[in-house]
Amino acid sequence: MTKNPAHRDLFPGALEMMILHSLRLKPMHGYALVKHIKQVSDELLQIEEGSLYPALQRMLKEGWLDSKEGISAKGRPTRIYRLTNAGRRHLEQEISSFEKMFAGITRVLALSKA
Amino acid sequence: MFGFRQFFSRRRRYTDLSVSIQEHLEEKIEELMEEGMSREQAASTGRREFGNAALIEEHSREVWQLPLLEYICADLRFAWRQAMKLPRFTFAAIATLAIGIAAQATIYSVVHAVLIDPYPYRGALRMVHLHLYDKDPVPDDLGLTGPQFAEFQKSPVLDGAIADDMYSRALTGEDLPEQVQAARISPNAFEYFDVPALLGREFGPSDNTHVAVLSYHFWKKHYDGRGDILGSVLEMDHEAFTIVGVLPQRFAWMGSDLYTPLAYSTDPRRVANVFARLKPGVTDQAAEQEIQPMLDEFHRQTPENFPQKFKVHLVHINELAIGRFRGVLVILFISVSFLLLLACVNVAILLLARGETRQTEIALRKALGAGGRRIVGQLLTESLLLSLVGGGCGVMLSLGAIRLVRHFLPPTLPSEAEIALNMPVLLFSLGVSAVTGVVCGLWPALRASRIDARQAADAGSHKLAGRKGTRNSHMALLAGQAAITVLLLACSGATVRRLSQLMHANLGYDPHHLLSVSLAVREGAHAGWNDRIAYYDQIRTAIGADPDVLSAAIAEGSLPPGNLALTPLTIPGANTAGREVALERAGAEYFATLRIPLLHGRVWSAPEIAHAAHLALINQAMRQRYWPHADPIGQTIVLNHGVAAGNVWTLVAPGNDQHFQIIGVVGDAPNQSLQEQVAPAVYVPYTGIIYDWFNLLLRTRGGATAGLLHRIKERVHEIDAGQAVGDIVTAEDLLDEDLGRDRFIASLFTAFAFLALTFAVSGLYCIQSFLVTQRTRELGVRIALGARREHIVGLVTKASLLAVLMGTGIGLALDLALSKIFSHWTSGNSRDPAMLALVVALLLIAAALASIVPARLAASIEPVEALRAE
Repeated sequence: MTKNPAHRDLFPGALEMMILHSLRLKPMHGYALVKHIKQVSDELLQIEEGSLYPALQRMLKEGWLDSKEGISAKGRPTRIYRLTNAGRRHLEQEISSFEKMFAGITRVLALSKA
Repeated sequence: MFGFRQFFSRRRRYTDLSVSIQEHLEEKIEELMEEGMSREQAASTGRREFGNAALIEEHSREVWQLPLLEYICADLRFAWRQAMKLPRFTFAAIATLAIGIAAQATIYSVVHAVLIDPYPYRGALRMVHLHLYDKDPVPDDLGLTGPQFAEFQKSPVLDGAIADDMYSRALTGEDLPEQVQAARISPNAFEYFDVPALLGREFGPSDNTHVAVLSYHFWKKHYDGRGDILGSVLEMDHEAFTIVGVLPQRFAWMGSDLYTPLAYSTDPRRVANVFARLKPGVTDQAAEQEIQPMLDEFHRQTPENFPQKFKVHLVHINELAIGRFRGVLVILFISVSFLLLLACVNVAILLLARGETRQTEIALRKALGAGGRRIVGQLLTESLLLSLVGGGCGVMLSLGAIRLVRHFLPPTLPSEAEIALNMPVLLFSLGVSAVTGVVCGLWPALRASRIDARQAADAGSHKLAGRKGTRNSHMALLAGQAAITVLLLACSGATVRRLSQLMHANLGYDPHHLLSVSLAVREGAHAGWNDRIAYYDQIRTAIGADPDVLSAAIAEGSLPPGNLALTPLTIPGANTAGREVALERAGAEYFATLRIPLLHGRVWSAPEIAHAAHLALINQAMRQRYWPHADPIGQTIVLNHGVAAGNVWTLVAPGNDQHFQIIGVVGDAPNQSLQEQVAPAVYVPYTGIIYDWFNLLLRTRGGATAGLLHRIKERVHEIDAGQAVGDIVTAEDLLDEDLGRDRFIASLFTAFAFLALTFAVSGLYCIQSFLVTQRTRELGVRIALGARREHIVGLVTKASLLAVLMGTGIGLALDLALSKIFSHWTSGNSRDPAMLALVVALLLIAAALASIVPARLAASIEPVEALRAE
């Protein structure tokens, strides 16, 4: 039933990167974040809702996010997550290293196709 | 700032987290409802898609925690709550473990202190006495002259040797002389023993012969343990010695009061006893072969100091001190190990039973999202907590028990032995209990953590008949317990019977108000035969005149039941090859003083004693052995006691030809200790061979012995101002001491047996109650379907009854198989049918009592309630 959260990411750090990127656009609460990622990826990426919360706590602890009290879309109290400056820097690093990796993988795949 | 907040606002973080998750689920469910689902459908779908909310929350919280420490704390808290919830279970488990550990640690500490490492001396286990055997079964100690000793020390198989020479001497220079045991030891002795002095220093080869080192007990007794005695002078037989040191408590070589340097005299007849330490790795046989030719050479030089044809035999100092007690200690140790085993079995039963009843709880926790590792960890914490608390209580208990045992230990053990709690063994016992706890706590846990959630959800239905595997293991444990209990009860019964036989035996003499004092003549004093007899009789008459003394008699041996030396015997005209008799040299008043009845003939007259007449009395055992149908009076016997020539210390009456005519027969009195049969005994006048010490046996009116001793000392002082008097020994104390060993064994075995019985009964009770609780539903169904109450009782008790009976059978078989070994070491009879019947009856009655409560519980199950209870 429950799987170890470490194996749930597409690759290590992917979920975190998507969360950070989503929150750069605007602060959101948990459910909105899930919906946002699903919508934006055209439902291609089905993130396990459960795995969101341990990841959020990890990022809070690292100081990439902070949270404040807020109101959900349905008008009930919840917690809104927001990117910090440290989070912004971390995201940029992650994206650049991801792009490098992606470019590398693409080249290798292109070679094998030819 | 953030770190600070992180540390102090964890509670807020947790609230944030649950609020977030809560809202997430709510929002999701509402959206699903907007898509057209019913509330229930939406809730179930939403939760399924989200995953295990509790577990996710826990994983999320872990981010903020130091996980291991927090788990341990939580587990400990939980374990504590569990323990408090079941106080009877907790108490039973802890008490069982504590008693098992304490018993094991205590007995092993005794065994270790007495058997394995009793001596503080360097290489003590290699230290030997050298016994010389010829035809005489009582060996001579090796005695060597100065030059021979110097030669002997050089032997390549030896790692050192010492010579010593013990005397009873009079401590003079105070009001009344005091008798002390003084050992003259060769100046190399303290280097040989290698035990540092407690106070001051020991003496060595460079000291003169007028220094003294005190033993600890003498220092305490005579000097009240004062530190300022170093350098002061003590006087023995008017000879001055300077006190240079005090030895530690555990140095008690030969039990001497004090030690002075031995200077070998040039007289070849003045020998000193020699003791040696073998080199590491040298076997006794090899050493004996190496030493024998050397001793043969010494024999040629001084034939008078050796038996005629002898073989040297090495006896380790340990063996000499413990002798037959070794076997008893080993048996006790084995028994107590059984007891610990029983305790562990009991704890196993308790934990297994509880583990079974908690299957549902564990399954539920698992369903709620507890990880397997967390469940196992928590159960492990619970078992370990039990083991540790049990162990801690066990340590406390064994500290107390060791004091108790020290009190009851028979005095025959080496006085060097220091009985203290033995650390390695304590750790071993703790380890055993921890392992039991862990194994028995983990087994159900592991099984529970393997079952999946669906099985777990309907765990209740498993309770129909109980799992067969569990039941079998319970029954095996129960049978094992019964077997061990029977074995221990049988041992206890045998030793108690033996003790009561000894205590109620007809003694043959009257020990009430009977006591003895020993007196030793100053070296070289009263050296003529006539003179010495007159001197001894003068002292006897003077003490006998005390108004409290009814009669006084001189004897060589001490009071019964002490060992009388055995002497080879010849009866002209009869085949007596290899026969021996117990020999006592005594005065005319001996039988009247001890109240040993004269059965036949007469006792010596005073003049016959004074002239060392060759007239003997024998005891009833001797008469029955040699003259069962004839009249022994007037028969002649020959005693070959080997000191016909006499020496510096031993004076022989003129004309002693060792032939004696029997003039009377007296009743039997124990002469080889109470445990042995009365040996055939011969009584001859003490004047025939007279030593430089004697015992005075006194029959008194009763009353305090301290005042009497003082008056005796004063009367002796009037006769000879330098004559010391030894301590008073009462016949009742000697009996007590003789029974000490049997009393010690009997009380320990009895304690073990009753602990074992308690363990077995509580084990049985636990299993029965557990079975009934587990089968409540099944039994309810049976009752509802019309099963009779007797049938229900039979159902729940049958298996346990069978297990107990099987265990009893195994125990009896083991007991019969082992009874030979047991009776060899404890002289108790463990196969006496009446005793065994009693043992079995005791166990079965106890088992029946333990079953009553659970059986009644089973019979009173109300079907409706039983079914509703699930």
